[in-house]
Amino acid sequence: MIKIINVSKWFGTHRVLNNINEEIHQGQVVVICGPSGSGKSTLLKSLNGLEPFQEGDIVVDGVSLKDPSTNLMQLRQKMGMVFQRFELYPHLKVIDNITIAPIKVKNIPKKQAEEKAVQLLERVGIPEQAQKYPGNLSGGQQQRVAIARALAMEPEIMLFDEPTSALDPEMIKEVLDVMIDLAKSGMTMAVVTHEMGFAREVADEIIFMDEGQIIERGTDKSFFSDPKTERAKDFLSKILI
Amino acid sequence: MGAFDWTVIIKNMPFFMKGLLTTFELALVAISGGLFFGMLVGMARLSHIKLIYYPATIFVNFFRSLPLLLVIFWFYFLVPIIAGRPLGDFVSASVAFVVFEAAYFAEIVRAGIQSISKGQEQAAYSTGFTYAQTMRYIILPQAMRNMVPSLITQTVVVFQDTSLAYVIGLKEFLRSASIVDAREMKSLEIYAFIGLVYFIFCFVMSRFSKKLEAKRGAAK
Repeated sequence: MIKIINVSKWFGTHRVLNNINEEIHQGQVVVICGPSGSGKSTLLKSLNGLEPFQEGDIVVDGVSLKDPSTNLMQLRQKMGMVFQRFELYPHLKVIDNITIAPIKVKNIPKKQAEEKAVQLLERVGIPEQAQKYPGNLSGGQQQRVAIARALAMEPEIMLFDEPTSALDPEMIKEVLDVMIDLAKSGMTMAVVTHEMGFAREVADEIIFMDEGQIIERGTDKSFFSDPKTERAKDFLSKILI
Repeated sequence: MGAFDWTVIIKNMPFFMKGLLTTFELALVAISGGLFFGMLVGMARLSHIKLIYYPATIFVNFFRSLPLLLVIFWFYFLVPIIAGRPLGDFVSASVAFVVFEAAYFAEIVRAGIQSISKGQEQAAYSTGFTYAQTMRYIILPQAMRNMVPSLITQTVVVFQDTSLAYVIGLKEFLRSASIVDAREMKSLEIYAFIGLVYFIFCFVMSRFSKKLEAKRGAAK
């Protein structure tokens, strides 16, 4: 579904992505972990063209991101994204945060979009918050709205960029539960996270990145019980207290 | 105080009001036109495309480095040449003000857009929005809220600056005063009255801006 072929990216002279190769198949959940500054978020954001890259190619459903004739706007409709700092639109009510893209991008009638939004809010467990502004919600609630907003475009793939890193500990679970639910429903997912409990439960593959490179990959079982590289061992010993 | 004759003000009130109306008209044209073009130029100033970025940046730096009085003069001679016929002092002044103020409004708009986090833009793009949709529905509505105090300040400045159109003979508020003065020879009374009107309008606007700012601070 997504093919990453020899992707490299530089910020000035600093190489942030170094020859990345990876394939994400339909229905797969891929967890990307690694120390901060390792290029995980940059890699994730290059999948939907938010971060350009200089070398290599990324192919989504047979469409190349490097091809100048590719319509990025159309491609992004297939890929929902959830951000570390939620990035809900503060000037719009929760319901409008969810319906604005379906209405403006897909030209779905307002009433239909709102019905769908209510269903999505029920799915993420906060239907009673529809008429509030994001600023009046807790972090965990905001992130669940963000997931609903991404799902409203009916994406084939969901990208998560450290979705629980900005949350207070007691709110992490409510977001992870929604994500686990989504994974179990068969959604294709790429998730940058340090939540190893989540990785254990639903990840089909775990990628470990350091200094812009994928230095280890494995299934959840092999990665946790038997990491191959010193760096991965070191990393795991630090986060699995 | 007995030496002052305030009846001159009452007597000439209709004439003053006509001048004030012209001042308001010119200010309205300058502000709405300046804001409209300023918005386009402000967005262009943030473009990654050099062919858009550089002309906008040169435009802004050029007009912000010239005295308004010179620009008014310049357009007074330029506009008839471009139009091929004289269009009158109001049109000339309007063009000068819109072009000049666009450069100032552009910087306010640019700062306003930059005050919104990059993440908002990325979130909008990630749902399939185009650049225009992202600006219209997500960035500009938020940026506008942040811009309101600066926009009001600039509005006050524009209102005061319209008096400079005096030099090309436009019968705005200040010019109407000098015309009456030439006939009545009551300079102190007339200019005190004119000053008071400018002051009241500008003071009220700036209080309004302060209030909005305080309200916004409280909402945060």
